[in-house]
Amino acid sequence: MTNCVWCQQAFQPRVTLRDILTWRPLPVPPLCTRCQDKFTPITAQHCPACGRQQETIAVCHDCERWGTAALRNRALFRYDAGMKAYMQQYKFQGDYALRKALQAPLQQALEQENYDVLVPIPIDQQTWLTRGFNQVTGWLRGQPYQQALVVRATHKDQPQSAKTRAQRLLTPQPFQLDPRIASDLVNQRVLLLDDVYTTGRTLRHAATQIYLGGAKAVTSLTLAR
Amino acid sequence: MNELSEFFGRRIPAKAAIPQLGAGMLAVQPVGQRYRCQRCQQWLAPTDRLPNGAWYCRQCLEMGRLTSQTKLYTIPEPNRFAIPAEPMLTWTGTLSDNQQRAADAVLHLVQRRQNQLLWAVTGAGKTEIVYPALAWALARGWRVAWVSPRVDVCLELAPRIQQAFRTTSQCLLYGEQSIPYAYSQLTVCTTHQLLRFERAFDWIIVDEVDAFPLATSPLLQGAITRAEKTTGQHLYLTATPGEALQRQIRRHTVATTYLPLRYHGFLLPRLRVRLAWRWREALAKHRLPPALIRRLRAYRQAGQRFLLFVPHVRDLTTVMAALRQADICGGVGVHAADEQRTAKVQALREQRVPFLVTTTILERGVTFPNIAVVILGGDDGVFSTAALVQIAGRAGRSADFPKGEVTCYVQSQTRTVRQAQRMIDQLNRQGKQRGGRWP
Repeated sequence: MTNCVWCQQAFQPRVTLRDILTWRPLPVPPLCTRCQDKFTPITAQHCPACGRQQETIAVCHDCERWGTAALRNRALFRYDAGMKAYMQQYKFQGDYALRKALQAPLQQALEQENYDVLVPIPIDQQTWLTRGFNQVTGWLRGQPYQQALVVRATHKDQPQSAKTRAQRLLTPQPFQLDPRIASDLVNQRVLLLDDVYTTGRTLRHAATQIYLGGAKAVTSLTLAR
Repeated sequence: MNELSEFFGRRIPAKAAIPQLGAGMLAVQPVGQRYRCQRCQQWLAPTDRLPNGAWYCRQCLEMGRLTSQTKLYTIPEPNRFAIPAEPMLTWTGTLSDNQQRAADAVLHLVQRRQNQLLWAVTGAGKTEIVYPALAWALARGWRVAWVSPRVDVCLELAPRIQQAFRTTSQCLLYGEQSIPYAYSQLTVCTTHQLLRFERAFDWIIVDEVDAFPLATSPLLQGAITRAEKTTGQHLYLTATPGEALQRQIRRHTVATTYLPLRYHGFLLPRLRVRLAWRWREALAKHRLPPALIRRLRAYRQAGQRFLLFVPHVRDLTTVMAALRQADICGGVGVHAADEQRTAKVQALREQRVPFLVTTTILERGVTFPNIAVVILGGDDGVFSTAALVQIAGRAGRSADFPKGEVTCYVQSQTRTVRQAQRMIDQLNRQGKQRGGRWP
């Protein structure tokens, strides 16, 4: 018996024959099946540019509107009611223990990606003080990453999640390169990591700065779309 | 002044620095080897740590996160209330003889500042019995909280108490409320909200003290103790005291007022048990016991509204489908996580739907005039003795329809079912001695 990290209910993890035959300590899933089912994984049918779940595999309408500012993003889950509830408790209420819920799927996804340097999207100083953690790096289980981006000190603004789409698209560049790490990016394939892809504004700002640092290619991975 | 009143008798974080509050205390403090939350008094797990080094409490996270960097502030309760000259009680109803006797007993014990228990059957009018004592306490300038573990009970109570004590400042507190907190003499709230109070109340009235989750939660029991002043006292209200309370009653360690008769003077409907062979297996094949179908059909034809209780949320859809197949239509299913829960209950009250299929969430705190009660699978573990007595207590509450039918379908007579029957019969025997009669 173990307790679900989200709903706190005790549950019995399923043990497969393979788990027994591999003769290793049994894996302890962080979530019970009911909480696990609140997340909807994005299937193969998604937009190749932003990772949105859709009927076709053509570039979606929102991505066409971006035009030349292309970005290749992959997303793991849909940003639906279940994911919103999760983000609410993890990010906004600040329940750091919930990071464990999505560590395993993220690890799997990172193993499938081709990249040299992993760059998580940073949080600003004020958020760091109040929240006490970066929600993106919380999902990492010791995978190496470079905090190559920092939030500009002048950037005092309302959070992205409190804005409308039009307001979000007008957001000025919030990031700058950390000069100490910038040299590590030259001629590397960089993977950006963020929590939610909504309009793509934040990730494109980040990608621009990474390219300025001399990176050869920039792709991105988000938990939700 | 106004911003300070928010801290009277409470222990909460401050949004802005206020010099009068003093130094405050850290919300999460090291005690020995471990850390302890100063709001909910629970111990932190060694993993509840943030990357910036702070510790945070997961137990009361939904009330806003507290970390070892947060500070809590409190101002001792000053009891700063305006007491009007006219009587506090604006309620115009009258109490029956039995109710009046109980009300006098409660008032007497309050005046002697004793902790007490009011054990009155379902539909005895517990709320009204407390009114005289509450009026006395409010006139003395006491700060009083009326709390319940069930939010439905609080939501139903608040307007009634507002009507009964129109001159008293009141506020209603619960998890999803939209109205901000206001310092007031009478607070109606869920037991969870008491976590924000400290040594605030002269008198705490705990409604439905045996209800989930209070009965099994040391966190909430601790919250009641801490919200009470050191000179304060409490009154427990219940129709079905649990094992521990019954033991205290037997040993006379708690002053008890006992009322085994309903306000209209009629006895409680008895719990009739009918055997339904392997109902669980039949339900898995989407079939209901034939006797149950016959009874529900008869109710539908007679235009009798009813509540059908099922053990689990997952049984709801199966039962609803089986009912539709048996041509018993028009009802709706209700469970705890249902967003339209209050609307559906209201629909039954206004006779817009003929029946509700529900889980144990409707076992207490709801009143429908003229309703029949049917329980499917009363031998299931979720129906405790108290739950069965409470469910049976939904029937026959109105003075115009004191006769109510309660039928319980079981595979076999279990101990809980027999105990529930015995409890109802025992209450009825004592009710008879006080002049109760069968409807």
